[in-house]
Amino acid sequence: MDILSHMALGAQVILQPINLLFCFLGVLMGTLVGVLPGLGPTAAIALLLPNTFHVPPVTAIIMLAGIYYGAMYGGSTTSILVNIPGEAASVITCLDGYQMALKGRAGPALGIAAFGSFIAGTISIIGLMLVAPPLAKFALAFGPPEYFSLMLLGIIILIYLASGSILKALMMFVFGLLISTIGMDTISGTQRLTFGLLELCDGVGLIPAIMGLFGVAEVIANVEQAIRTDVVTSKVKNLLPNLRDWKDSFWPIIRGSVLGFFIGILPGPAPVISSFSSYAIEKKLSKHPEKFGTGVIEGVAGPESANNAATGGAFIPLFTLGIPVNSVIAILLGAFMIHGIQPGPMIITKHADLFWGTVMSMYLGNAMLLILNLPLIGLWVQVLKVPYPILFPLILLFCLVGVYSLNYSLVEIALMIGFGVFGYLARKFQFEMAPLVLAIVIGPMMENNLRLSLVISQGDPMIFITHPISAAFIFVMLALLISPLVPWIGKKRKRLQEKVEGEEV
Amino acid sequence: MKSYNSIAAIFFLLIGIFFSLYARTVEIGALTEPGPGFLPLWAGLTLVAMSIILFLKSYARKAGTFRASFFPQPDSWKRVLAVFLSLIVYNLLLTPLGFTITTFLFLIFLVKFIFPQTWKRSLVVGVLGSIFARLLFINFLETQLPRGLLGF
Repeated sequence: MDILSHMALGAQVILQPINLLFCFLGVLMGTLVGVLPGLGPTAAIALLLPNTFHVPPVTAIIMLAGIYYGAMYGGSTTSILVNIPGEAASVITCLDGYQMALKGRAGPALGIAAFGSFIAGTISIIGLMLVAPPLAKFALAFGPPEYFSLMLLGIIILIYLASGSILKALMMFVFGLLISTIGMDTISGTQRLTFGLLELCDGVGLIPAIMGLFGVAEVIANVEQAIRTDVVTSKVKNLLPNLRDWKDSFWPIIRGSVLGFFIGILPGPAPVISSFSSYAIEKKLSKHPEKFGTGVIEGVAGPESANNAATGGAFIPLFTLGIPVNSVIAILLGAFMIHGIQPGPMIITKHADLFWGTVMSMYLGNAMLLILNLPLIGLWVQVLKVPYPILFPLILLFCLVGVYSLNYSLVEIALMIGFGVFGYLARKFQFEMAPLVLAIVIGPMMENNLRLSLVISQGDPMIFITHPISAAFIFVMLALLISPLVPWIGKKRKRLQEKVEGEEV
Repeated sequence: MKSYNSIAAIFFLLIGIFFSLYARTVEIGALTEPGPGFLPLWAGLTLVAMSIILFLKSYARKAGTFRASFFPQPDSWKRVLAVFLSLIVYNLLLTPLGFTITTFLFLIFLVKFIFPQTWKRSLVVGVLGSIFARLLFINFLETQLPRGLLGF
């Protein structure tokens, strides 16, 4: 009955008033950025991270996690009502959700999306509770070579799943590694490329980098041309799906949840991939596949459940291995480090309150989201009506203040602007952001593990192959890198790419 | 994409060369005991190699492939440039003018000139935005933003 006592511990954490408040703020903010097109969860989490420095780490993580899964909820609202996906993960919801709205069934569509997300969120939390602790125990056996290989594998999977061009994504990754070497070398204490700037001694800050790459660059890309929003629905009523809707959606929700959870564990844009896969599966299993795209409720229920379950799955590598699978989790990892928590398999045992508190907060957060999303849908529709010309200066202002308040440094604002320019151009040139961000976060860990491995093996690089676990990771990695050259697999990957293209990971 | 890729390749080539040259100024160490310059050197050289491959690949592809124009609208560049410049100016003015005034000017400029709104609307956003931001960040969150010459 270990789990029960742990859940009690988690409940104790989340029931503290401050944690309840921050959980609520998190899901509220999450829904808001989910609703707003042009501001994703990545930028939002980076934006709010500085404001969490004065609260205990568990409170901070609870809020930041809330933003992540909250955004998945909010994203569906815009897909259904306006045919504009607030989040990449909700792109597929537009297909049937918007059609349902046109037929006057926006209510049940929004309702089933919210209920489906709630059920999926719950299923993935149960999965997280069951899978994470044993996996963490297994990871305790990992030494520097295993960690180095695993991180490399993680990056390669991400690149394989999410990138149009593997070469260009690898270049971004290496560039990120180089950026991560700026600052003081933790092993020898040597200053590298700091130009005598105090701000660079600790390395290039993660927050200025993320705000630049995701906040500023995204706004700049959006001011190229005006975003048009026409909210179609005059009034949303009958939010509760009827019995028939439930019968149609029950299995899609369950299938979507399980699928989403397992895809979520893999590196890459899991919410996006899982929602696309769920849609494809439901269409295949359906008795009336030809009706998909004309407003069938299964086409909303499955994908919406899948993308929510994927967010839960994504926490597993974070809590068990300390390895981020996408940009959002990378920022959370950065938050761990800022709060002085050493990421890795020890988190669950050493910081039991953090792990179980966060897990339990997700239960509560999901319930809060249900309440926020169903009765308050009218409010979110109003938010959608804020015109972008007024919205974007405010987003930029938040980025500026957010970065400045970190260290009260104008240099970091300049860094953010620099990353903004780079991010904008890189998007234009079709380079991916995710490998860069991940490399900046895990670069120092990779470097230390690489150097320690070489010291252990006395300079023999074969150590990565002679250790069996590490060898397995390397083998999978090589297989992934070679497989696109095999025509049959390469074509499949291409097709996946076309679907995920241009999405923020 | 042909020329975009070759421009990017040259950019990353220079970055790679810069880091691998730089790595030589700190201790590189040996395989048995890698020093602080070890990763910058090898990652830099890897980037150089990758850039060269990308450059060659961008020329190996057949000519006449589809190339989208850089900006979706002919006047996009004006807005993009103006937003970047306004960020830089904000950074420069923040200390001398103080948070509230700089924010006021910043908001008015962006609302009025990027997707031109009426003066009335711009002033409302500027005034409300800067006052609200001041109350939120300075009075409520107690962020130490510069107050500037006028003391607010």
